[in-house]
Amino acid sequence: MKKLVLCALLLGLLLQTSCGKKEEAAGDGRTVVTFWHSFVSSTVPALNELIAKFEKENPAIQIRAQYIPTGDALIQKLITSVQSKTAPDISWVHSDYLQDLVEADAIYKMDDFIAGPDGLSEAELADIYPALIQYASWRGTLYSMPMEATNLALLYNRDLFRKVGLDPDRPPQDWHELHEYAKKLTVDADGDGIFEQVGFSLPVFPATGPLGGWMVWQWLPFLWQAGGELINEEQTSVLYNSEAGVAALRLWQEIYRDLKLSSYTTDYDVAFASQRQAMALDGPWNLPRYATLLKHFDWGFAPLPQGPAKKATIIGGEYLTIFKQSKHPAEAWKFIKWIIQPENQAFWAIKSSYLPINHSVLQVPEFQSYLAAHPAFKVFVDELEYSLASRPIDFHGLEITRHVAEALEKATVGDQDPAAALNESAQKSNALLQSAAK
Amino acid sequence: MTVTRRTKTASNRLQGRDGLHALLFLSPTLVIFTTFVIFPVFFSFYLSFHQWNMFSSQTSFVGLANYSRMLRDPEFWTVVKNTLVYTLGTVPLNMAISLLVAFMLNQKVFGKKFLRTAFFAPVIISPVAAAVIWRWMYDPNFGLVNYMLSFAGIRGPNWLNESHSAMFALILMAVWKTMGTNMVLFSAGLQGIPETYYEAAEIDGAGAWTKFWRITVPLLSPTTFFIMVMSLISSFQAFDVVYVLTSGGPLGSTKVLVFYLYEHAFKFFEMGYASAIAYFLFITLIILTLLQIKFMKSRV
Repeated sequence: MKKLVLCALLLGLLLQTSCGKKEEAAGDGRTVVTFWHSFVSSTVPALNELIAKFEKENPAIQIRAQYIPTGDALIQKLITSVQSKTAPDISWVHSDYLQDLVEADAIYKMDDFIAGPDGLSEAELADIYPALIQYASWRGTLYSMPMEATNLALLYNRDLFRKVGLDPDRPPQDWHELHEYAKKLTVDADGDGIFEQVGFSLPVFPATGPLGGWMVWQWLPFLWQAGGELINEEQTSVLYNSEAGVAALRLWQEIYRDLKLSSYTTDYDVAFASQRQAMALDGPWNLPRYATLLKHFDWGFAPLPQGPAKKATIIGGEYLTIFKQSKHPAEAWKFIKWIIQPENQAFWAIKSSYLPINHSVLQVPEFQSYLAAHPAFKVFVDELEYSLASRPIDFHGLEITRHVAEALEKATVGDQDPAAALNESAQKSNALLQSAAK
Repeated sequence: MTVTRRTKTASNRLQGRDGLHALLFLSPTLVIFTTFVIFPVFFSFYLSFHQWNMFSSQTSFVGLANYSRMLRDPEFWTVVKNTLVYTLGTVPLNMAISLLVAFMLNQKVFGKKFLRTAFFAPVIISPVAAAVIWRWMYDPNFGLVNYMLSFAGIRGPNWLNESHSAMFALILMAVWKTMGTNMVLFSAGLQGIPETYYEAAEIDGAGAWTKFWRITVPLLSPTTFFIMVMSLISSFQAFDVVYVLTSGGPLGSTKVLVFYLYEHAFKFFEMGYASAIAYFLFITLIILTLLQIKFMKSRV
């Protein structure tokens, strides 16, 4: 009997230690704020510097940054943590997931802090690019704060431009030129029907795969450039099957067909680095990598070519939310508020090559001198003036994005009629919107 | 007399205690098994009649709506069709090749042990690593597959990017990946056939083919039956290879049932709908297995 009791006690002890929640404390009296992010490893040193700067200026707070994988894994982990009451204080969240988090009552409204004693002034709020505020909101309420911005530009190989007689200082200005240049830069030297060099590539991925949303994100600038919009303001029907949408998708289809991109699957950055690809869509987050990777030839960035209606590119970025389970919401807000200050934004942008979120950073002297020395980075900053955010979809955002991706895949890989593909997709999306309205 | 009685009572007492002891030592496994296997099975049955997004603490009862939505969704039927194509592609091919390999390795071959290990190796390789290797092999420009084909003067397709070749590419990899297990099972079955039958047949003047067809195949049938049931179940449940190799693309041509389930559960957070799909799969597999037992049992 004694043995039995002993066994039971041991078992109990085992369960106790394995299930017990560890008390979070720095041990030196500082308040610990946990911060989940998905920065790639090349950005982590910059993030550490940013956090060190904050901790130096705010000695009472310690930021414990933790990497979590992005995409599907991020939201799955957030759900689990909210359910098991182990949510972080701050986490970066994609706009697509705001609906779920708000409906679960998991995150604070940013207005709760902005209007508070340590809040933000009207001017400070207006300083942030409006597209970012729009993207950080759900149904008109601000639930997250942008930490940095990103957008898309055109990466091009200046040496290859020279080789085919194109002026490297005059990158393609509009869709027509983009298409023409792409064809001109595509080379089949030995005439076997396989291109040794491709002028341009499109981010076409399986709609059902993890990169389907990423494909849609890069197609949206083309939709806007043609004068289109994803969804109407009342969120009652989608608009991407308009004439503008068809034109934007037709451009993709023609490029895909002419450049035989169906037999081209190599990652664009590898192909670009080995000078097998002349142009690509790309973002500022790759600049630190390229500074070391692309030393052996002359390359540059150019603004995205203009569409039939206007100049446009897409804005993205990482958005910080404060979880209601946080024991230190005030300290968490302090960190977020600190990050969006222009001088810290300048510091962060210079270190990480992400774009600043507010206009007044352009007045910070260090930032101005950095821009003058880094023309590739300046292209992205200049583009901020006409960077648009995709209008957040209140309900079924992920499914609607999936349906757009299906249309893109059908018109490129499947070579189907763009209008038919978009109409079929829009029909499915509209059915979803109607079911949500009920 | 007294001695036997004493041992008897002692062993009785020990048995009672043993039961408790056993339960105690089993309890960690039992707790884990109940929490992660038994509970989810019943909970997902409950969920298949409800709507739940994982975030909210309450579920709402919707009756059979999840099931009727499933049956009315054209995408669902495409997915079922893809799963059938995948199953019809993998199961017979897998069984034929693994039987052939097992049969050949059952003869006196040089390096038998090495070959057996080599054929079994893909089973142990993590599916993600395997898929990465196969992605490279299928690459249209630098891939090994198209390079080999080029010797025969054939220009291979972009395997994973064309909807008519992606499923074939997937089946090929799946067969490579899972063949080893069946090969081991067939080998065991082959070694269980007594040599005397073959000797008797030889005396009667039977050739190699007759021996194989009249002795090996019939005596192997219990193993064959077991392998068929198990492969059918596992091919209906295919997910990891699809997820890593093609993500269901291109144009949804390799989207199979469990991938479709995964999407609804962990991408769109429709746990109720996903549970309904899971129960559809469960019931289909039970029916298929029962049918196999009914029609094959008599011949096994």
